[in-house]
Amino acid sequence: MKAAARIDEVVEDTNYLQGGLWSWVTTVDHKRIAVLYGLTALAFFLVGGIEALLIRVQLAQPNNTFLTAASYNALFTMHGTTMIFLVVMPLEIGFFTNFSLPLLIGARDVAFPRLNALSYWLFLFGALFLHVSFVFDGGPNAGWFAYANLTERYFSPGTNLDFWVVGLLILGVSTLLTGINFLVTIINMQAPGMTFMRMPMFVWTMLVTVVLILLAFPALTVALILLLMDRFYDTHFYVATVGASPLLWQHLFWLFGHPEVYIMALPAFGIVSEVVPVFSRKPLYGYPMMAYSTALIGFLSYGVWGHHMFAVGMGPAADSAFAVTSMLIAIPTGIKIFTWIATMWGGALRLTTAFLFSIGLIFEFTIGGLSGIMHAAVPIDLQQTDSYFVVAHLHYVLFGGSAFGIFSGLYYWWPKITGTLLDERLGKFHFWLTIIGFNGTFFPMHFLGAQGMPRRIYRYAPGMGWDTWNLVATISAFILGVSVAVLLANICISLWRRVPAGDDPWDARTLEWWTTSPPPAYNFARIPLVHARDPFWALKYGRPRPSRAADADLPGLEASSPEALHMPAPSIYPLLLAAGVLLAAVGATTRLEIVVIGGIVVLLSILGMGFEYSTFGEVAQPEATGAVPTALDNRKAGMWAFIGSETIFFASLLSTYLIYKGRNVAGPGAADILEVPLTSVSTFVLLMSSLLMVLALAATQRGDVRASRGWLLGTAGLGVIFLLGQVYEFTHFYHEGLALQTNLFGQTFYTLVGFHGAHVTVGVVWLLALATASLLGRLPQRRCLAVELCGLYWHFVDVVWIVIFTLVYLLQGVKGA
Amino acid sequence: MSESPENTGDHPGTNVYLIVAAFLTVLTAMEVTVFYVRALKPALPPVLLLLSGAKFALVVMFYMHLKFDSVAYSAIFLFQLFFAVVIIISLVMLFATFLGSA
Repeated sequence: MKAAARIDEVVEDTNYLQGGLWSWVTTVDHKRIAVLYGLTALAFFLVGGIEALLIRVQLAQPNNTFLTAASYNALFTMHGTTMIFLVVMPLEIGFFTNFSLPLLIGARDVAFPRLNALSYWLFLFGALFLHVSFVFDGGPNAGWFAYANLTERYFSPGTNLDFWVVGLLILGVSTLLTGINFLVTIINMQAPGMTFMRMPMFVWTMLVTVVLILLAFPALTVALILLLMDRFYDTHFYVATVGASPLLWQHLFWLFGHPEVYIMALPAFGIVSEVVPVFSRKPLYGYPMMAYSTALIGFLSYGVWGHHMFAVGMGPAADSAFAVTSMLIAIPTGIKIFTWIATMWGGALRLTTAFLFSIGLIFEFTIGGLSGIMHAAVPIDLQQTDSYFVVAHLHYVLFGGSAFGIFSGLYYWWPKITGTLLDERLGKFHFWLTIIGFNGTFFPMHFLGAQGMPRRIYRYAPGMGWDTWNLVATISAFILGVSVAVLLANICISLWRRVPAGDDPWDARTLEWWTTSPPPAYNFARIPLVHARDPFWALKYGRPRPSRAADADLPGLEASSPEALHMPAPSIYPLLLAAGVLLAAVGATTRLEIVVIGGIVVLLSILGMGFEYSTFGEVAQPEATGAVPTALDNRKAGMWAFIGSETIFFASLLSTYLIYKGRNVAGPGAADILEVPLTSVSTFVLLMSSLLMVLALAATQRGDVRASRGWLLGTAGLGVIFLLGQVYEFTHFYHEGLALQTNLFGQTFYTLVGFHGAHVTVGVVWLLALATASLLGRLPQRRCLAVELCGLYWHFVDVVWIVIFTLVYLLQGVKGA
Repeated sequence: MSESPENTGDHPGTNVYLIVAAFLTVLTAMEVTVFYVRALKPALPPVLLLLSGAKFALVVMFYMHLKFDSVAYSAIFLFQLFFAVVIIISLVMLFATFLGSA
């Protein structure tokens, strides 16, 4: 083996793990943030695991009185919520991806390091907020998918679900920010020469995952906001007696919920796709097919949500459509399974713990996939719905398809993360205990479901034929618990003994193994230049000839010139901003004054963050900390990704308006009350504000500071006039008898138009902040990007209004339009 | 590659912005006019959606500079816009079937 060039020789080694508490609190280093995510998610893994064990103890025998019905409901609700939102996603996305993504693509950090820190703090505070409800009100208890109208105040009067709703909203924002951050990182921070078809497969799966996050989470946000309004403001978005439909919740939730399954599974698939080639000593078989099948899974996963709702009676056409798409998704998934097997075929296999867990994923996920195909068949699904068969299926998919991948990734990347090795004997013990415990716990649930045992029951009568399998499942669950204890022991021993792992203990193929273990703070002293799909392997064992003419211009990895190292400075603002959000959340469930204080902290933190770098808004990228700049600007790409997710958000709100249009059982409808002349003027005002906005940008670009300031203030002024028009309109409607709670039109109209107004308000504040910066001489020509980003947001608000004006005001008399 | 070239000038000038504003004004006036013309009531949805779509496209292409910037920005936005439209159409159709078409 050729000796790989050590890259930490040219600069002083600064291990990212070194540093005091303050340095961790203010860190923006992706590796440290990954460690924070990892530790937090591990803690919640233990919480979720204990919740599961308590559930299993209760079900171990018939008529058990170990738990009350209320405690049982809270435990299964929070077990699902915790494992999905606080364990699997944070471990796969917050921990593994945060740590390895920049290293895999040859970058020094993610595109937005401070946003990355903000995502973590929001995650931490959201998770804590979610669990505080246990102290006050016994914990959320409506199931992890919280079906309406069980969640209405009438049926769930306590504050427990308030904590659940607000906590998930915070976690959703955290995930969305991470999604935007990683999307821009993947498409814009790759090392030179790393084309899409040379990206490691883990990066491919993460690309599809973050796209799914941007597409799926806004629907959940809207569903939660509507539920929050039902609970806080006495609206009835999910109440049938006023003409609404509880099924709206199910549609919006599963629009998020099924892509969420793949948000959890795809990163694990990516881990397996990295581990299998390394321990088979072969390149990944059928790389292009694997990449395309990943993209196809992502695409199809957005069109299968209805298979969770076959039992509600959507009609034969809808059922058939969702059945077909659900069956179709088995094809790209099957491609993955066979591709992994083909990679192993004929390889020099090394059965390390990481590899064993990858094989375990392939085996267990296949079982879950097969029962998934059964659910795609409507008649069979109708028999299995709400039975333990579904519980078995979802655990084979989520534990088998995600947790096995997480364990595999942990054993694989642990040496890189800590510089030490996990004990292989303990690791294999952990693996076999997991296999026995997992299958012993969940496979009998297939039988229980087939025998008719419903899910979510806290006790059952003897003589149903369920006793034995429940006992087997409970004993196996404790074996699974012991397996986790073995893993924890392994981690502690590894950190205590600190046996050096070396930089490349697995003889691996990708760039993260090219740097030291653990990596220095800057990842790579020299940005690697990539010629091949497995660049580190190519470097070690001989680089193949460049396959494209353009590659001839790239020098070898080792020949790249050292560059100046620019790492982003630590910042306290992400923590402060997240603390402000937490304050506002606490206020939402207690006292309104606290919401105002939280809002002020958020606003000040955003302003502090916005103007923190002396180079804010400059064309050069202060946060692009590694990769050679591409034609894209990180911040503009991030803004477009954000605007895209906002498009889904408004589409979900608009759908709600259109679905409920004309279904009032009382009170005025759109055609009775909307006034087109007034709104036409408001529309014209907002359109002209967009003109002033582009004139402000043009003035800034040519260095005319006074004109720029004038146009900015003019834009803000027109925004204020638009808002005043909206206030007048709302007040007028209220006096005409249309309150928020009057009927379906009132609640959908005020919510849709009100959220648009809130966006305009944010835009006005942003514009005034820029105008103030201009007044202070801090918005010269070179900072024109600051104006352009604000402009993109402002114009987006404008185009949303163009759609609202047409669909709500002008098509007011057209039902279903 | 050049360093963020799109920020340094490929945007249209003031004249183009003013022409677009004029078009937006005319299109809005047409929308309101169409709304009040009784004879056009049967064709109201397609006509209004067409006019609205034209306004949407003008703002996105010229004021948000998608016509002039990297195609990657367009890809990011249009991909999500596609799914947004799919959501609206799917949900409206599903509920029209389930709750009875209005």
